Amino acid sequence: MPVQLMTSNLSSIRMGTGDLAKYPFLNEAGEYLRESGFGWEELDRPDMKDIIDRAAERIEVGVGGNIYDKLEKYEIEILTFIVSLIMVKSIGMEPVLKKYALSEARRAEEFLTQDLKQQSEMQKHSLFAKIFEDLFKLKIEVAEDGRLFKVRVADYLARSSHFHEQEWKLINRLVQGGHVYLDADETVRLVRNELSVLIYEKVKAMTLPTLPQAIKVKAEELRAKLAPRYEYRTSAVTEYPPCVKHAIEVMSKGENLPHSARVMLATYMLAVGKPVDEIVMMFQNAPDFNEKITRYQVEHLAGMKGSRTKYSVPSCEKLRNENLCFATEECNGIINPVQFGRKRK
Amino acid sequence: MIEAAKTIPVVRGAFREYYFKQARAVEEPGKIEQREFGYAQFGQAGMTRHLSFNSIKELHAMLVKEVPSDVYCSNAYYKFPTQPMQEKQWLGADLIFDIDGKDLDLPCVPSHTYPVCTNCGHALPPSDEKKEYSCPSCNGKKAERVSIPCSKCIEGSKKEVRRLIEFLTTDLGMQRDNIYVYFSGNNGFHIHIGDSEYVPLDPQARSDIVGYLSGTGLLAESVGVRKGREGNMSFIKFPRGGIAYGWRGRIADKLKIDGSSIIKLKHIVDQKGGYAGFKSELDKMTREMGVRIDPQVTTDVHRIFRMPGTLNSKSGLAKTRCADLESFNPFNDACLLGGNKVNVRVKTHVKLKLKGEAFNISKESAELPAFAAVYLICKGLAEAM
Ligand code: SF4
Ligand SMILES: [Zn+2]
Ligand SMILES: [Zn+2]
Repeated sequence: MPVQLMTSNLSSIRMGTGDLAKYPFLNEAGEYLRESGFGWEELDRPDMKDIIDRAAERIEVGVGGNIYDKLEKYEIEILTFIVSLIMVKSIGMEPVLKKYALSEARRAEEFLTQDLKQQSEMQKHSLFAKIFEDLFKLKIEVAEDGRLFKVRVADYLARSSHFHEQEWKLINRLVQGGHVYLDADETVRLVRNELSVLIYEKVKAMTLPTLPQAIKVKAEELRAKLAPRYEYRTSAVTEYPPCVKHAIEVMSKGENLPHSARVMLATYMLAVGKPVDEIVMMFQNAPDFNEKITRYQVEHLAGMKGSRTKYSVPSCEKLRNENLCFATEECNGIINPVQFGRKRK
Repeated sequence: MIEAAKTIPVVRGAFREYYFKQARAVEEPGKIEQREFGYAQFGQAGMTRHLSFNSIKELHAMLVKEVPSDVYCSNAYYKFPTQPMQEKQWLGADLIFDIDGKDLDLPCVPSHTYPVCTNCGHALPPSDEKKEYSCPSCNGKKAERVSIPCSKCIEGSKKEVRRLIEFLTTDLGMQRDNIYVYFSGNNGFHIHIGDSEYVPLDPQARSDIVGYLSGTGLLAESVGVRKGREGNMSFIKFPRGGIAYGWRGRIADKLKIDGSSIIKLKHIVDQKGGYAGFKSELDKMTREMGVRIDPQVTTDVHRIFRMPGTLNSKSGLAKTRCADLESFNPFNDACLLGGNKVNVRVKTHVKLKLKGEAFNISKESAELPAFAAVYLICKGLAEAM
């Protein structure tokens, strides 16, 4: 029963069904399904075809780096979401799952921001209590003026200190009495990464029963479609050096990566023989991603454009000076990231 | 480090007596079994680390048996405290701040700082001269600058502590009785936070706290001053949350503005020479208003830290809890060694006051109570005879 995947603490606050449609990852969504007596087999019914198609579309749009913005009745949204999770799981490709999770998080982020701006104080409060406390163990209060939100300093820091922008530094915040005051956008931004991690982990933890035929067929179809983009990850390098891994991680969270780190990432990937197309796609989660510009830049680094000089990977020392080095023991004795993993005794 | 073969037994003897008689002054850290301990020994370089004690009694036994020169305990909690660092499994760490008198650049410091030759131990009286050091006895070119803090030094550090407490209780909303202030045992204060909320924070988050407290990185935009389209142009737009609290509030008070003072603030900015001029003025203000804490101490979550109630081998004074900061006098309240008479050779003219007793020693040899003799020996200004 897929609905049992949706367990975490139950809260006494009831959500409106409109909220459930926007936030299908909440416990209530699962409960709703359970109460309605919905069963697995029903997905094979002809009238469920629409749901399955929607789920496939939702995944495709998400994996393409966009946000699926259709919003239907809650019954449809909840089912679509759950079927999406099942399909992503059965497709079984890590990058697909990561991108999908990120796009679901972005989708929810948009709804959340809207809601927080529009709803009355009471509604705000229950929405927050629900989403932030149940999901992220983050206590949020509506500030005295009814406009801003308050989070504990320690809770704020645990999240914000990994953001790179100066305005997220505590000193640039309104801090008083152990609380940081944030507006709606900022509050949501604070948990965006966690939401995608949460969806990611939810899918990771799922165990699939025998799938209804209809889902199986659609998932296979989707898999065949997506595979060429993601499956040939087998280059000679089995593991990336820590600096590169870190850059990829920051990137996959959709966070801003400094220019020097982007150059490092691109030159490294070129050096290990990754095709330009794939390298360009590695940057697609960047907040300022523009495929044309990125492609030009990567081709430039590859010596295919402009000055026609091929750029080499910056040395470990240079990276260290730029705070881009995250050396581990395995880095011992190398001077350039390309040597990583090649000098084993 | 303490030299000479005769000197070590004297200091060690006084330390032993202290640990024997006053072991109870050594404070038991919370969750002792999850802490890493370490200690240094007289006359030996380096430190023994990765130790663990299951109870304060076990620790007391070690103190009496080994008589370490310095004793440390992690502020971190580990699942396996005795394993090498990578395998300890970090569970969290208490939040700690360090205020060191020597970082405060106080004007009194040169008048009580003695150059002590690192090669032969020869000591010179304090002097204001900036000329390069050359040891009159061995021609060595390196000296350690040893300071006997004066009451102004202590007052300077206390002022920082008060400022820190102000930030912690107002902006960070901490309870005053969750803030434990200790005299470091030499020339500063350690502030331990008992609030478990901060225990899980990683170094990056702690560094953000340090930035906040020390006043680094405040954007002009945070107080409403924004960059205009061209070079040094600026315009005023107050941030959405207003400027009533925290650093914004502090700066607003200082500039005597509030959330409605658009014209006044614009005027101030223009006076300072536009956006860039205002920004550098702002940096100066925040640096002055911030607390001078040692950033490394707070951000390092794997450090071992001098234990409350143990002796500091740089002075022979104890790291001591200050129940009342205002009345706390380290030269009385942290001077806990005995008063047996010890004969010492004093290397240069020194003045100090310990346990209410003033010492002004100009003769070469003197008979001093152990607490004073040990203090001078630890400072490298005397030797046992
Ligand atoms: S040592 Fe070199 S390869 Fe290793 S993390 Fe640092 S920069 Fe990268
Ligand atoms: Zn000398
Ligand atoms: Zn002084």
